[in-house]
Amino acid sequence: MTSLSAAAVPLEHAPADLLIVEDLRRDFGGVWAVDGATFSVRQGVITSLIGPNGAGKSTVVGIVGGATRPASGRVVFEGRDITGLAPHERAALGLVRTYQLSSEFKKLTVLENLVVAAPAQRGERFRTLLYGKRSWRTQEEEIVARARGLLERFSMTEKQDEYAGTLSGGQKRLVELMRALMAEPKLVLLDEPMAGVNPTLARSIEGYLTELVAEGLTMLLVEHELDVVERLCESVAVMAQGKIIATGTMAELRKHPEVINAYLVG
Amino acid sequence: MSHAVSFYLSTILVYLGVDILSCWSLNLQYGVAGIYNFAWVAFQAIGAYTAGVLTLGPSSGNGGFQQYIIGASLPFPVPILAAGAVSGALALVVGLVTLRRLRTDYQAMVMLVISVIATLVVTNVIGLFNGPAGISLIPQPLESTLNLSPLGYQWFYVLLTAAFTAFVYVFVHRITSSPLGRALRATRDHEDAAQALGKDTVKLKLFVFVFGNAIAGISGALLVMFIGAWSPGSWMYVETLVVLTAIIVGGTGNDFGVMLGAMLVPVAFNEATRFLPPIGRPGLIDALQWIVIGLLGLGFLWFWPRGIVPERRRRFPSRIAAPLGPPVDRRRPLGRARVGASASSPIAEPTP
Repeated sequence: MTSLSAAAVPLEHAPADLLIVEDLRRDFGGVWAVDGATFSVRQGVITSLIGPNGAGKSTVVGIVGGATRPASGRVVFEGRDITGLAPHERAALGLVRTYQLSSEFKKLTVLENLVVAAPAQRGERFRTLLYGKRSWRTQEEEIVARARGLLERFSMTEKQDEYAGTLSGGQKRLVELMRALMAEPKLVLLDEPMAGVNPTLARSIEGYLTELVAEGLTMLLVEHELDVVERLCESVAVMAQGKIIATGTMAELRKHPEVINAYLVG
Repeated sequence: MSHAVSFYLSTILVYLGVDILSCWSLNLQYGVAGIYNFAWVAFQAIGAYTAGVLTLGPSSGNGGFQQYIIGASLPFPVPILAAGAVSGALALVVGLVTLRRLRTDYQAMVMLVISVIATLVVTNVIGLFNGPAGISLIPQPLESTLNLSPLGYQWFYVLLTAAFTAFVYVFVHRITSSPLGRALRATRDHEDAAQALGKDTVKLKLFVFVFGNAIAGISGALLVMFIGAWSPGSWMYVETLVVLTAIIVGGTGNDFGVMLGAMLVPVAFNEATRFLPPIGRPGLIDALQWIVIGLLGLGFLWFWPRGIVPERRRRFPSRIAAPLGPPVDRRRPLGRARVGASASSPIAEPTP
């Protein structure tokens, strides 16, 4: 691995690192999709993971999110080894992911998509069978109010009662982003949030991400648009053939021969 | 109303109650949680057998012409509640094996195999529930205590079935109308995304699988105590498809829709074929009935997939307004980002 910044030296992570990924390896049928990936995500900034198709970015996101088991290596979140935790346990700690393909709950309304994401809901406990609505009504109203606040912020209020499955591709992306925010995350893994979105909406999503990071949210962004990465991300890790080949700012990486060879040209 | 019509009507109403319970049971699993339980009828059957062997008394009774396990004479309503408990317990075991690793089509195939294996086991292990002949002469609840005429008892059983149906509905409604039901529907729509948002989807599915199959057990108990007999021929795997078709026709995921489905498919459709004049060789109408039920399900899935009464769109009261003021929790190091409303550029994109 070629390191361009002090913060990216393997296994010597800064105290401000919220997420540390160490020497991850994962194969599919003998082909190593991830082959010793090591990088970290600093608190309060957007870190981007870029690389050509097939570099292993989505597999890394899958491993960090808990959907994919690594063959070796570890994932450390807030100083705690979470490699063996299930996705829902990671979400409970504040590590929430979105998906490359639309993952909205199709037959739930937009507002329900947001409300369902709120953590620790009393009405989801099995004892709700015995106590009924009175045990969760007040909390539900608080959650709905918060979800409506987000809809207002993202200018989606008028869509609140529509089925999420009927929205356009870009609107579904927004719903997924709002839904992740409803889960009260500390770190959001965004897997190509602007893929297939029209340029106007993509710029708006970019604006929202800037606002959110200014509010203290940390993000790991997988993105193909290098201009977007340059505008949004303080730190970038470049993957090729399952390995992190360089880290640094986008300006630094544009001059890096291995990156140019693996990604910008190839 | 003549005696015969009254008798027929009361019988139909009991069947309707049992079918409504059946449809709610499977709808919770398939319609709400997206579990493909093609072994559903096996859980109804285990409920029926449980209620039977807890009511019949020792197998040496009645001349010892049938063999079965346990052979108790428990008072009403213990056998019915026990039927639900045993079906639920069995569902827990099956669920722990099938729901943790398998999804959708694989789950469906395993369930179908479980259903077939269960029929084969009960048919071939004679000492369990009297093999292919099944158990019979099951006493009806409170019959000797109430001392009613046969018709009077029929109507008592209608009330009994209605009471159980109402009792079960309270709990079914509490699930489907609560955040628990919403989490289950989210799991149905996209399990990975639900997990990524913190939902323990295996636990959720296991819960609804156990609860739904406990209802199946109760429906089996009510049915067997009404008809007095139960054999492997009563619960072939295709019976699950009848209930599934009723759900698809009535409206998947809608409690009232599936009630309507229960009226239309297992009750009205089955009864209507009784009045057809005999055509072709004996048994042809029965065979055609299965084909038509299959076509009915496919037709609805193709042309009317949401059913006659579609799943209800949940709207929240407009009085619950968005919070006023600035976004909360700005710059909270290592704290949860509770992002609220703040000024931003409008981004509304037209729906295509």
